[in-house]
Amino acid sequence: MQANRQAPASRGGLSLFGAFDRHFLVGVAWPSLVLMLAITAVPFILTIALAFTNYDLILSQNWKFIGLDNFGQLLADPQMPVVVFNTAYLVIATTVLDTLVGLALAILMEASFRGVGLIRSLYLLPIMTAPIIVALTWRAMFNDEAGWINYFLGLVGLPQPVWLGDPILAMPTVIISDMWTGVCFQAVLLLAGLLAVSKELKEAAVTDGANRWQVFRHVTLPSIRPILFVAVLLKAIDEFRKFEGIQILTTGGPGIATTTLNLQIYDTGLFYDQVGYAAAYGVLMIGMIALTAGGIWYFLGRNR
Amino acid sequence: MRTSRRITVLRTVFLIGGLGLVAIPFVWILLTAFKFPVDAASVPPEIFSPFTWSNFTQVFNGEYLQSVGNSVIITVGTTVATLAFGVPAGYALARGKFFGRRFLGAFLLFSRMVPPVIFIIPLFLFFHELGLIDSFLGLILAYLSGLLPFTIWLCASYFADIPQELEDAARVDGCSRFQAFLRVALPLAIPGVITVGMLIAIAAWSEYFIPLLLAGPYTTPATVGLVNFIGVDTINWGAMAAAALVLAVPVFFVTLLAQRGLLRGLTAGAIKG
Repeated sequence: MQANRQAPASRGGLSLFGAFDRHFLVGVAWPSLVLMLAITAVPFILTIALAFTNYDLILSQNWKFIGLDNFGQLLADPQMPVVVFNTAYLVIATTVLDTLVGLALAILMEASFRGVGLIRSLYLLPIMTAPIIVALTWRAMFNDEAGWINYFLGLVGLPQPVWLGDPILAMPTVIISDMWTGVCFQAVLLLAGLLAVSKELKEAAVTDGANRWQVFRHVTLPSIRPILFVAVLLKAIDEFRKFEGIQILTTGGPGIATTTLNLQIYDTGLFYDQVGYAAAYGVLMIGMIALTAGGIWYFLGRNR
Repeated sequence: MRTSRRITVLRTVFLIGGLGLVAIPFVWILLTAFKFPVDAASVPPEIFSPFTWSNFTQVFNGEYLQSVGNSVIITVGTTVATLAFGVPAGYALARGKFFGRRFLGAFLLFSRMVPPVIFIIPLFLFFHELGLIDSFLGLILAYLSGLLPFTIWLCASYFADIPQELEDAARVDGCSRFQAFLRVALPLAIPGVITVGMLIAIAAWSEYFIPLLLAGPYTTPATVGLVNFIGVDTINWGAMAAAALVLAVPVFFVTLLAQRGLLRGLTAGAIKG
């Protein structure tokens, strides 16, 4: 603290550099903050404002505020409940499956043995591969005639469904392809949590007569709860914005069987040019994300 | 001792089996990239078929090469811009005590929660007005919306690990705050900054959604160019796999070379957050 007061004085406090230096932290933080306000906060507020207009990309000159009309239309839209259901289906199924399987994988990778470093880094590769490549590859592999998956299913005598064209199977197909990256992602995050659990605490529990399951349930799980919370929250939020893995795999189809809010906003606003109505869907999406984040916080993040 | 050894064997079997599942899509890309178009689309599929380089000559002669060049420009530009803004801001966040700090922290969380589709429509309208559609500057600005908060957050976690006392000592010796940052804190944080830089570069290299809307004929990156191999009624799987391979191989090497840092980078934000 002493140093903070002395140094600027020795630097000619009236010079331009001296002024910059005294406010160094503010000076380097605010350019980023202003930039982020311009490219995220302002658009965010504008999207909410657009939801109360009839803005249209083609008739952009004649827009006006129309109050809650878009939301009235949204409530009457037969696609709306389907899209909301699809979004919830995708978010819940992928978050639960990726986290549970990822936790199991992380537990397997936790031990130290020869070659574990290489194994851990190989499990990073799906996370680092561009989602568009992943989506295109799964589209080829799930192809009902030329794809590998049905070929192998045929070899062992199992049925060969039309994965991407079947309204019931399409969403599970999206979820399976999601797990390829999602499980690895959760495993990597949770592994960091597992490695940080105090060894002394675990040994103490074993000395007190706890079995493996009891150690996991009463020592490991409470210790990793903070990172489990973050991992679940990030996963759920990322599923809301999932795009390539649906757009490329199924184009939201068949029909709208795999259309989530993200795709619906994209289609409505940028394909059909109804920006105002798309923004109303956007407000619905923001609400759903806030609700999900709040729920995850209530069950996992809260201090108890 | 015997049971623990059996568990290790079982563990390894499961882990290698899992790696087998992880490998299948990569194997598909690798094999398909070297197939003749007829073999790549054959029904039933042929796992192994005659070898050819023809897909690569097609990929390197067409407009895909141009889009790979665009990807390089966008990736380098985004990485440089993000680090230039994000590293000092991350330092400020870690060292605390300035007007707007709490707001910055809350804002980072906010921008992590809101999906790009919410920002992109007004950005599209702005860029249209400003003539930034189909420009590298516009794309880099749009990429910053997701990557800058991430960079600030991660850099803050790296700077927080560096003892404040070192900078205090430098200041007693007559360094300005700027010099204390540049000569003391930054060199110590370089490994972290490099990791963040690689994560940003990989993210920018892989981005598809933003350029799908904001890029155009002059700036289309390779991720969007990849989808052009999907024709109206047929997909040129061989050429597409070859193009995907070109896109994936650099990332593959960076990941394996820098895995320790990347592992830390991916998890640092989560643990500290």
